Amino acid sequence: MNMELFARLAFGIYAVVILAGGALAVSSPSLIRAMVGLVTALFGVAGMYLLMDATLVAFMQILIYVGAVSVLIFFAIMLAHASPDGDEAAPASIWEYVRSGLVFVVPVGVVALTATVFPVDSMPLPKQIGPEALGEGLLGPYTLAFELISVVLLAAMAGAVLVAFERRKPR
Amino acid sequence: MSPLSWYQLVAALLLGIGLYGVVSRKTLIGMLIGVELMLNGAGLSMVAAAQLTPMDGVLGQLGTLFVMGLAAAEATLVLAIVLVVARRMGNARSDTVSELKG
Repeated sequence: MNMELFARLAFGIYAVVILAGGALAVSSPSLIRAMVGLVTALFGVAGMYLLMDATLVAFMQILIYVGAVSVLIFFAIMLAHASPDGDEAAPASIWEYVRSGLVFVVPVGVVALTATVFPVDSMPLPKQIGPEALGEGLLGPYTLAFELISVVLLAAMAGAVLVAFERRKPR
Repeated sequence: MSPLSWYQLVAALLLGIGLYGVVSRKTLIGMLIGVELMLNGAGLSMVAAAQLTPMDGVLGQLGTLFVMGLAAAEATLVLAIVLVVARRMGNARSDTVSELKG
């Protein structure tokens, strides 16, 4: 019982961290501050993975998203000559706020309504799946997906190099 | 509400926040941040559905790992595109790219 209370408390803290980080990520006028908000939200999602006993996914979240993807986006901000006083500082019209708010409200409302009208009963405790079961899955039934994702990654890296390649100007 | 519903609600909020970012941001990098938030919402929803219902848990966790790999590939390509746009047009705003001539 005590542990259940603790889990509920941890869930609440992670939810607050995710929502605060996400709000900062989409509303800050400075892109660097927005990235700090994104990293905060990513850490909150990793905490929720830990709470659901998906340990490997949680550490992969920190390793891939916080370690690699956010560093890539920081590089993009640096290379795109971001202005120090914020690229998003220009005021928006009322219509833009209405449009953005509508896009936020409609999907969240549909999912929240579905979750309350058709409640799904879930197991009281999450399943325990170790890394060895995931490895057997990768080398067993999901080998094709595993190989295809490496091909996709190779194509993406080669394409990125090709797109960003600066051809030397003839003199 | 069951624990699964709470997790799905947080995932839906992440999706909504990401969509809000994609629509309201004016720079390409701001839109990319919104896309990353949406992908995280999808991963959270998949892991919650796999871990808290009697379905195959390995499938859900591996699916989330594949989503992370795809997100890494997508971020690399967007970095290259932002680099090219910033080099040719001086900044990486979405309205400068949408002009046909100028």
